[in-house]
Amino acid sequence: MATIEIKNLTKSFGAAKVLHDLNLQVEEGEFVALVGPSGCGKSTLLRILAGLEEPTSGDILMDGAEVNDLNPKERNIAMVFQSYALYPHMTAGQNIGFNLRISGMKKAQIAEEVNKAADILDLKPLLDRKPSQLSGGQRQRVAMGRALVRNPAAFLFDEPLSNLDAKLRVQMRDEIKTLHTKVKTTSIYVTHDQIEAMTLADRIVIMKDGRIQQVGSPSELYTNPANRFVAGFIGSPAMNFLPAELTASGALKLSETAQIMLPAIPMDVVAGKVDAGIRPEHFTIDPTGTAPIKGEVISIEPTGAQNLIRVRIGAGVATVIDNALLPITAGEPVALNVALEKIKVYPPEES
Amino acid sequence: MSTLRAKIPTYSMHAMLIFGLIVTVFPFVWVALMGTHSRSEIYSVPPPFYVGDDLLANYEKLLDIMPFWQVLWNSLSISILGTVSAVFFCSLCAYGFFAYDFRGKNIVFGIMVASMMVPPVLTIIPFFLTVKFLGILDTHFALWFPGMANAFGIFLVRQYMTTSISRDLIDAAKVDGCSPFRIYWSVVLPLIKPALATLAIVMFIGLWNNFLGPLIVLSSPDKFVLTLALRSVQSLANSPWGAIMLGTFLSMVPLLLAFAFFSKQMIAGLTAGAVKG
Repeated sequence: MATIEIKNLTKSFGAAKVLHDLNLQVEEGEFVALVGPSGCGKSTLLRILAGLEEPTSGDILMDGAEVNDLNPKERNIAMVFQSYALYPHMTAGQNIGFNLRISGMKKAQIAEEVNKAADILDLKPLLDRKPSQLSGGQRQRVAMGRALVRNPAAFLFDEPLSNLDAKLRVQMRDEIKTLHTKVKTTSIYVTHDQIEAMTLADRIVIMKDGRIQQVGSPSELYTNPANRFVAGFIGSPAMNFLPAELTASGALKLSETAQIMLPAIPMDVVAGKVDAGIRPEHFTIDPTGTAPIKGEVISIEPTGAQNLIRVRIGAGVATVIDNALLPITAGEPVALNVALEKIKVYPPEES
Repeated sequence: MSTLRAKIPTYSMHAMLIFGLIVTVFPFVWVALMGTHSRSEIYSVPPPFYVGDDLLANYEKLLDIMPFWQVLWNSLSISILGTVSAVFFCSLCAYGFFAYDFRGKNIVFGIMVASMMVPPVLTIIPFFLTVKFLGILDTHFALWFPGMANAFGIFLVRQYMTTSISRDLIDAAKVDGCSPFRIYWSVVLPLIKPALATLAIVMFIGLWNNFLGPLIVLSSPDKFVLTLALRSVQSLANSPWGAIMLGTFLSMVPLLLAFAFFSKQMIAGLTAGAVKG
């Protein structure tokens, strides 16, 4: 186990700068998720941490010592790849034991360690199979076994679940979480799926265009997003951004028929045209029709437990979660209440 | 009647295949049969398309006109040395082109591929001059060494690598602690066996059948290879065709064995399941 620290890290590929002056501290035993859209540099950062890429400038520290010039093995990290990257010519057991064989461990001891890892991951009956004879989830577990067996200082996961189908993904997510609570190894987990990050991580690092947008616990990011990007990225369904007008007194006008008074005047936004950020779950539909925000239902998406209702409010369209499964049809007018203290106000997006 | 019509495509396909097989196999059988006849029988009309009884006489004649086993050994040692070293160095070089990024990589690779477009005949005189300059005329070394890292082999193996080995696999091996050579040896080589087998067969056949190279390089009869030795006795008046046919047939046997040994490797797809399939 180890702490990992990144100091002023930058990375350029030729003229293209992909990571801008990153700073991050990962505590011992912590599970940190790096999240962001494709091309935000999260995988590059992970590869730099692994020692597979070199940083253009900046330092990487593990347990306080600089590891910039160490190769992946010397850093004692283990990595799980998106494609699993199992050696196709070796059996599952040989795959798991390969790094022990490289380090010159005795055969009997390798077998013992492999068995131990296989026990944890429920892989015992599959050790003699080749990767081509394993299902996606089993391959993923073998890849994790390969990481686990060497007892590394840190695990690096590079989108390990994105090749699995939805059901298996949830199951493997659970397994990774269970595994982490069991072994408590420092883990850094790259994903583009914010739900995966929210459910797994102690802390989430949100990246965009090679810059860290915000670092915080899942609930922090959800309740106090640092900027519009984070607000829109975290949460599912995503936050609604509705064009509105803010007066100096704190009144927020979404449309002629939808005006609300904010409990506090937002500090960092000037009055005038703004975007109101409201999460779908902070709307409630008022069946009596007296609520302050009036809109028109465009469509209804039932998900079973709840309905996602698309509502036109002024010039914008909002998604509203309806937990009561009200009998609403498209085209109907609807009145909405909103949790006023949860509304975020952002400067309008430049188009 | 209708079932017969339905089977016509199958029958005609079989007929084509059988015809192809006969065309391919006939020369081999012919050579084998002629190896058992005396010269006068071979020239008789109709040709004696059956097993004759002059095999032993032909064999004695063969040993008489050339040191056959010595020559066979020469051919074999040159072909094996050349094949093994070519497979090793071509794949090593291809691995370099595949796994590493270095300045000028594409230019070097491009020049190398372009060099395959030079007609081999044009290189005969430069080849002779180089060999002479190096002082390795009339040695077997001059025959197997120059082809050790050849453009065709490197190109073939590298192209196979790009389609069958994922970058992640190399990275995974690095994380597992492999040295660059260990990655090549333990991870890359086992996965490119089909390409290596193809290269080995092509190299072996090329070296075994090489006539022009030995003709230029070799001058002492005890260093001759099969192609050269079999050709050199044909210039005699009254060529002993039975003995030559026997020698020719014997010279084909190692090739047949090599193919039987490697062809399974050529077909086997070893990379199934490397990544999610």
